[in-house]
Amino acid sequence: MTPSLDSREEEAPALRVTCGGIEFSNPVLTASGTFGYGQEFDGLLSLRGLGGLVTKGISPQPRFGNPPPRICETAAGMLNSIGLENVGVEAFAREKLPFLRSCGTRVLVNFFGTTFDEYVDCGSRLAALDGVDGLEMNVSCPNIKAGGIEFGRDPTVLGDLVKACRAVIRKPLWVKLTPNTSDIVALARACADNGADAVSIINTITGMAIDVRTRRPRIATVFGGLSGPAIKPVALRMVYQVHRAKIPIPICGIGGIQDGTDAIEFLLAGASCVQVGTQSFVDPASAERIIREIEDFCRTQGVTDVCEFIGGLRWEP
Amino acid sequence: MMRYFNTRVIENRSLGGGYFVLRLGGCEPLAGSRPGQFVMLRGDWGRDPLLPRPLSLLSVAHEGRADLLARVVGKGTALMERSPPGSRISVLGPLGNSLPVPSADVTDLLVAGGVGLPPLFMQAESAARLGLASGSEMLYGGRTSRDLVLLGEMRALGIAIHLATEDGSLGRRGRVTDELEARIEHWRAAAPTRCLRIMACGPSEMLWAVGRIAQTDGIECYLSLEQHMACGIGVCLGCAVAAQTRPYLYVCKDGPVFPAAEVMARATAAASSQRQGGAR
Repeated sequence: MTPSLDSREEEAPALRVTCGGIEFSNPVLTASGTFGYGQEFDGLLSLRGLGGLVTKGISPQPRFGNPPPRICETAAGMLNSIGLENVGVEAFAREKLPFLRSCGTRVLVNFFGTTFDEYVDCGSRLAALDGVDGLEMNVSCPNIKAGGIEFGRDPTVLGDLVKACRAVIRKPLWVKLTPNTSDIVALARACADNGADAVSIINTITGMAIDVRTRRPRIATVFGGLSGPAIKPVALRMVYQVHRAKIPIPICGIGGIQDGTDAIEFLLAGASCVQVGTQSFVDPASAERIIREIEDFCRTQGVTDVCEFIGGLRWEP
Repeated sequence: MMRYFNTRVIENRSLGGGYFVLRLGGCEPLAGSRPGQFVMLRGDWGRDPLLPRPLSLLSVAHEGRADLLARVVGKGTALMERSPPGSRISVLGPLGNSLPVPSADVTDLLVAGGVGLPPLFMQAESAARLGLASGSEMLYGGRTSRDLVLLGEMRALGIAIHLATEDGSLGRRGRVTDELEARIEHWRAAAPTRCLRIMACGPSEMLWAVGRIAQTDGIECYLSLEQHMACGIGVCLGCAVAAQTRPYLYVCKDGPVFPAAEVMARATAAASSQRQGGAR
């Protein structure tokens, strides 16, 4: 007897995952800063097919960003110093959210401020909006009062910031951690201890590049954030460190994911879901392809539920 | 409408001096592209270089054929130059805005510098198609004669061509902007009431010089800009240019074609402060 369509469908691996208080149809989200406000990719891939998308980082007021040159390519990666340019909460709610409400996927809104009050204000206003499934805090923003050191580098400062936002945000609250630290576990713990629902690991790694011909930095702000496949091993290591430390909140893995195998590596290291970032520039339909590749890999491995991979690294000390 | 698709190189013609014309098949989604528009192009070449390359369309013909002119400047263009027919290539496009439509009431001075030729070549093609070839002239400059390519194809369009090379190996010895000043002077004398319009694409120094000439002479002027970009669709925000009416505009979605006045003042100020910084 040939298998009916129904029985083949039954064999399809379960891709559904839950992370940080949100259920996703599959473990692949698109990362903040690489997917605009979603609409830019409409027609290039099925937004409905994504696990979810994370918007460009939103601040209380619009920001115009840094002077050019803002990006440059490096070996298997790119540096950017965009300067957190965005439309601000009001324009986001008015101009961007209506599309996001109808796009059929989970929407997380990345947000930030330049002071504690701005974070709290921005987070609470965004959380109140219909169509926002959860928030992701970007803590790689200079803390002006503390001499420009990023909020996310000091576990105590980070913990206080998470606590202040948690107090006013009733929706799932994720924190996107900076890798520019000597102790990623301490940062993740500060988030968990102060009420965050999940941590996204990692944001970009600080780097620089020089044009030897002109002897000038290749981006105007000298330093920028490195992303792309070049950073995957670092991201994977940090995800695993946090997972191994048994921090009691789930992890969303980010960093250089190009294909289904890369995504599965993050799941094995302990991530409950992943975000595809720079790869959306390389191939705008990549997130959709990665979902298919995960599904195919499950089939070839005889895995019936993608959750089997989560934290499944085999290693005995 | 913008589409993302995979296709193949059907011909790769070397023009010498590092210039080459990549002919792609299967480009039906690019039908209806306008002069000035561009595509993001990437070959099947692994993780390095990572990002697709923005390239202006040179020509889009029937049967899904599209031509792109490029010059080897780095890893991406070097790999493209070595792509034999049959090589797989991904295309996102058509992207960006376009040059103004040729008009019988205006004489268009098309100013191209080196590899900045494609939008102006396509504009000349479009003028020829509209029967307006005599209303446009191409002013084309480069360092040497090796930087002036596709001259036969351009002549076949029937538009007047004025060449300039810095070493004097072909056409006027000097810069294409010298030729531009000469042509403006010619038109002012020959037909003082004739309306002139300038469209330019090439190195930024050349563009700012063209913009200044247009400003001085009070001539409508459009510049097609080039900038590093990762996505081509207004997402990475990498291709910002300082603008007059807003802090920044984006080459990929607001351009690549801008009225000169919109992008000139702050960009030239930034360039000169960079030069001063470099001298310290």
